[in-house]
Amino acid sequence: MIDFIDYLLGGISSGAIIALMALALVLVWRSTRVVNFAQLGQAMFTTYIALTVRELTGSWFLGLIIAMAAGLVVGVIVHFLVIRPVKRLDTSGAIIATFGVLIALEALAAMVWGGDPEAFPPPINNSGYEAFGRIWPFSPYDLLVLASVVFLVLALSVVFTRTNVGLAMRASAFNPEVARLSGVRVNRMLALGWAIAGLVGAVAGVLVAPLSTLSPTSFDIFLVFAFTAAVIGGLDSLVGAVAFGIGTGLVIALVSGYSDSSNAPLVALVLLVLNLLFKPEGVFSHHKARAV
Amino acid sequence: MEALVQRFPGARLGVNAVTALVIWGLLTWVNQVIEPLMSYYLATAAMYATAMFGMTILLGLSGQVSLGNGALMAVGGYIFALTSMNWQTVPILGTPWNAVWSMVFAGFGGVVFGAAIGGIAARLRGPYLAGLTLGIAVGVPAIANRFPELLGGENGLMLQVPYPAGGYTSGDTSDEAVDDGGEVPLDEEPVYEELPDDFGDFDEEFTDEFGDELDSDPGDLSDEDLLTEDDLLSEDDFLSDDDFLTDEDFTTEDGFEADIDSDAGADLDAGLDGGSEASEGADITDPAADLDLAGVDAGVDAGFAIEQWQASMAIAVACVVGFIALNLVRGRQGRVWQAVRDDPIAAAVSGISPAGSKISAFVVSSLFAALAGAVFAQILTYVGPGAFTLGLSLSLLVGIVLGGRNSFIGAIIGAVILVWLPEFVLDVSADRGWQDQITNNAPNFIYGLLVVLVVLAAPGGIVGGIQSLAGRLRGQAKSSSSP
Amino acid sequence: MLRIDALSVNYGAVEALKNVSLDVPPGRVTAVIGANGAGKSTLMRTLAGLEKPLAGRGLFNDEDITGSKPEDIVRMGIALVPEGRSTIPDLTVEENLKLGGMWRTHAQRATSLTRVYALFPVLGERRHLRADTLSGGERQQLAIGRALMTGPQALLLDEPSLGLAPLIVTQILELVEHMARDSGLAVLLVEQNAATALRVAKTGIVLNLGEIVKSGPAREIAQDEELRHAYLGY
Repeated sequence: MIDFIDYLLGGISSGAIIALMALALVLVWRSTRVVNFAQLGQAMFTTYIALTVRELTGSWFLGLIIAMAAGLVVGVIVHFLVIRPVKRLDTSGAIIATFGVLIALEALAAMVWGGDPEAFPPPINNSGYEAFGRIWPFSPYDLLVLASVVFLVLALSVVFTRTNVGLAMRASAFNPEVARLSGVRVNRMLALGWAIAGLVGAVAGVLVAPLSTLSPTSFDIFLVFAFTAAVIGGLDSLVGAVAFGIGTGLVIALVSGYSDSSNAPLVALVLLVLNLLFKPEGVFSHHKARAV
Repeated sequence: MEALVQRFPGARLGVNAVTALVIWGLLTWVNQVIEPLMSYYLATAAMYATAMFGMTILLGLSGQVSLGNGALMAVGGYIFALTSMNWQTVPILGTPWNAVWSMVFAGFGGVVFGAAIGGIAARLRGPYLAGLTLGIAVGVPAIANRFPELLGGENGLMLQVPYPAGGYTSGDTSDEAVDDGGEVPLDEEPVYEELPDDFGDFDEEFTDEFGDELDSDPGDLSDEDLLTEDDLLSEDDFLSDDDFLTDEDFTTEDGFEADIDSDAGADLDAGLDGGSEASEGADITDPAADLDLAGVDAGVDAGFAIEQWQASMAIAVACVVGFIALNLVRGRQGRVWQAVRDDPIAAAVSGISPAGSKISAFVVSSLFAALAGAVFAQILTYVGPGAFTLGLSLSLLVGIVLGGRNSFIGAIIGAVILVWLPEFVLDVSADRGWQDQITNNAPNFIYGLLVVLVVLAAPGGIVGGIQSLAGRLRGQAKSSSSP
Repeated sequence: MLRIDALSVNYGAVEALKNVSLDVPPGRVTAVIGANGAGKSTLMRTLAGLEKPLAGRGLFNDEDITGSKPEDIVRMGIALVPEGRSTIPDLTVEENLKLGGMWRTHAQRATSLTRVYALFPVLGERRHLRADTLSGGERQQLAIGRALMTGPQALLLDEPSLGLAPLIVTQILELVEHMARDSGLAVLLVEQNAATALRVAKTGIVLNLGEIVKSGPAREIAQDEELRHAYLGY
């Protein structure tokens, strides 16, 4: 029983980060109906930028801020240079193009920073709190991660539900034509969706790097986790992405704890297959247009 | 041509068989006259082409974006390794085991896995399928870690490759490598002279079948094919033996699997050494074929080199697979796949099951991928999670998109690009003195950019681009000649 | 106010509109009627900037609007209520309304919102419900309300009667007619349901296969038996 609690506690922060990554995928899907398979490639790239800034200035926080800004910029660039022109052609082209971006970004990162895994030390203590005479697998850094994720999710939900920009973004996602007829500059809203997704992904990357290592391909596995969470959540539900992001993180932590962490990708795969077989429209989605 | 095919129902089969045989003959001849290192590249390209014929059907004809083919190659590779390591006789039949049986079982495994994945995939569209197969590409190789006893875990499995006289009792493809030696028999020359025409026919047939509006001019396209052949051959010029060890470490994959520990690299080398020993033990007619790594460049003179055997095996598989693929695509099944891709509802109304069509495309591409995986296992003499990474799946996608997803020629061109570009970059970098870090990753960077560019500017890849260019030129010629 | 000058539009390979000219004066309803496929929706979509014309112009207060983007045209003061009750079901009633006219000042939007709720009280009652909980007639009111939120000088109504009970259609159209008279709004109404449309309109224009075959006072057109048989099918 105490094992179970330990594993769950250990999975909270990674679950929260997977939630952010899933959120980034959902933001892009809502704005342009494209799954950005390069999302975590972008996050990897901005995390390297954060690492470099941190090495130069010694400030983790400055690294985070610059990574977020870079995430915004990369998101907008990918949207305008790749997705907007491709989207007009065909959907499989858009999917392939995002993989092209992923390949290019991973290679570029390896060219600039080298392919070997680099340590990204946590900015604050990452050893577990001590209480009731034992050490719990939940550290001050986990608390920082959790607080950051909660703050970001709350901020996003305020933006989306309480502001005009948020309303315009949601309307552009649901029905671009009606949004345009209402005077919304839809293309800007789509780009903004990509920008915010880039920012969210950048935060997720900087937060997750200390929990694993940083290499050009080290986030590939998180792409699978985040995609799984986003799809189970319904792919256009922000709430679903967060809920199932955390859920996926916890399930993976339990399975890794009871068996072996190398089973994690298989767990994600099984979750994904079960979802696609039995609840293909996702748990939080109203739409039912997933099959042919 | 079409009229002829209609009058004689067997004619199509014959044409495809001749096409496959001519290509097989040509490549076998090429394999005899080039250096062992080139044979190694030829083997790798043939392996990629085998897998990518399946991508042509899955992505091009059936319109499904799948990243799972690297994982299906792993299925084939592991089945090949396990059966050839553990089985002495064929179950039920009781006849002695040989490598061909391992290939058969690898293909069978591919079909089973392909049907399973296809059954799920048929219910999904676009991004969901891509994401699911992404999960498969990442998840399936991890199964090796789940069963370290059986599958060797992270370190994978070394396998004994059945070099000539060791395993192939019936003495098929590999005999070529042993008997013909490095000399080119004079009587093979006519094959070469006939080549351009045959290639032209092949192209014309092919484009016709795909319903492309333009009738390709055999001259144009065969020129292009010769160009690719030239490219392949010209590599002779800039490859030094020093490159050999790095190549064995799979430069292509480096960018993607930076996380492979150096152990895996060492294992690969060990695998090669093991392979060399095995061939030493084999009954080779020419005693000069003492194949340690240093002696490999003497392979042409010696009459037999591992690389040549690898290439002849890979070529034979690629040609058999290509023959099957041609028959499927040029027959009714090709039209079914296309109909479902273009308009699933209309296809369903006319009595075609869209789900069945998608599953069958998956099954066929999985069969090809598994066979390619078995070839890959024999080239590496190793199977392991490090060999079948997400990077491998992405490479297949890159190759098919760049070459042209709508034709088998595109698959072949893509395969050649995958083998050639890293070598080309290596060559350029040697001139310019780039750091390893740049050199090793530049090919993938270029791939990524090219994929984006191709999707934006020429969705048909190189083949599609040439076809539309040729079409435009012909259009201009027509409009200028007729006032 | 809104003038259409020799407009031709192709829809795919089909000539949807051929050399169409008409005036939409303020303070009254102008009805374009015609059978399915007469080019009515194409006319509306082109005016709103959703389709590009082949030739001809749309003039709004003597300003050329041809080729402008929809989001700019609505900012100039032309609001389209597209065919098929174009509300966004995932948003609440009030969010649907607030979507209209985001570029306007806070005060302007508050005034418009009060006015819309006064015109369509049912929307005020349901302001926090999702739009997909509304009935067809309520959703049509919501769509018109959203267009009014942009503070238009010209309102384009595309087939508001589609799928609605005749009584509700009459109510909505009479409301629109009052609004036009009271506030000087120019209304261009496109309808297949000619009888209802001509009842509220001042001017009627009959469109057939992309060409204007007749225009004049609505009452005259409503009484023209020959016209009714030939083009309007009743």
